[in-house]
Amino acid sequence: MALDDSHARPPGPPGAEGPGERERPLTDDEVLACGRSLSQVWEEAQETPPTADPHTLSCSRCGEALAALAALRAAARTLRAVDPPRLRALADRVMKTVRSEARFGRLLPLADPDQNLRITESAAAKALRQAADTIPGARAGACRLAPAGQGPGVGVTMTLVAALDLPLPERADRVRHSVLSAAGRALGMAVTTVDITVVDVLTPSPPPPLAQPRPSSEG
Amino acid sequence: MTEGTGVPPPLCDLPDRLLAVRAADGDEDSFAVLVRRHSRPLLALASCMLGSVQDAEDAVQDAFVSAWRRLPEYHHRAEFRTWMYRITVNRCLTLRSRRPPPLPLDAVPEPAAGDAWSAPELTAEQAAAAAALARALGELEAGQRACWVLCEVRGLPYKEIAEMTHTNEQTVRGRLYRARRSLQEAMTPWR
Repeated sequence: MALDDSHARPPGPPGAEGPGERERPLTDDEVLACGRSLSQVWEEAQETPPTADPHTLSCSRCGEALAALAALRAAARTLRAVDPPRLRALADRVMKTVRSEARFGRLLPLADPDQNLRITESAAAKALRQAADTIPGARAGACRLAPAGQGPGVGVTMTLVAALDLPLPERADRVRHSVLSAAGRALGMAVTTVDITVVDVLTPSPPPPLAQPRPSSEG
Repeated sequence: MTEGTGVPPPLCDLPDRLLAVRAADGDEDSFAVLVRRHSRPLLALASCMLGSVQDAEDAVQDAFVSAWRRLPEYHHRAEFRTWMYRITVNRCLTLRSRRPPPLPLDAVPEPAAGDAWSAPELTAEQAAAAAALARALGELEAGQRACWVLCEVRGLPYKEIAEMTHTNEQTVRGRLYRARRSLQEAMTPWR
């Protein structure tokens, strides 16, 4: 894989970039009348911020090539429109299928005296994750439950993403306490252990925004 | 809930990675957030790949359902977004290869593009340019089309496009160049 071959090439000295300068030139590249290769001119426009070397700025051939690219990008912008009602309908159809293929996990005992009440692992895990999430600076990831021995006891294994403004053992203790409390009060489940693994650091920033189209080179 | 705010923060505040882990555990609500978050860009991608809204919706729906089924085996090595795009691109390529070859262009009065990406605020000229672009896109080799759409319509970096299309950055660059050259030639009358 040529992953180290980043498209953000180091800017060379102006004028030193001839058409044969690229390490692996395209076999079907087009050489403009000014001597630059079309792929090179377009690649430069792709860089953010676009490389603005003196040649490209003053050359009419490069200017034409860039105008063609800009026109193409302007037309491409019209392809981004999506109809919101259809989007909602699509999401509804997907979730209808997903819910019909629900993964419930194993059945786990609740701590009722007769020991004949059961709950699915996925339903219990949802409640326990929510309990963990109520602790500021903590978010639950995976949550697995398994019977602990023959009785109604259940062991919980949970991964956690946690902020670092508090020592991790302290925060994990708060989460454990919240999980144990919710298991007893909300579910009526006898949780015997809550094993917590902190797998990542919770950063205070919101989730990354969806990919925005690159700013186009014109304007 | 003895501590904290008493109310868990909304799921839509969670990052993809955490939602994907929960969804892999069988949490449908977390998956629903991922679906809402990603369906718009995926649908735009599939529309450009397939040239029809109906086909695009089918492809995206199939891709999400397939992702739900495969989540327990997904080990989160790639970003969820990258993984999801990859499934969708594959789905689009499969759908296209199964379809009969397109009609010759002169047999089609106006491309279905007006339906695929209709945006009522477009001027007649812009709409015509969009239709021409859609037609030219349909003529491209599938790999070139995928790279061009991911780059120019979705604005993704080469590295991610390479991961999504199972290739390397050099190939992405070459496909992008060829796609642009074909498309800009097709678009020349509209400039």
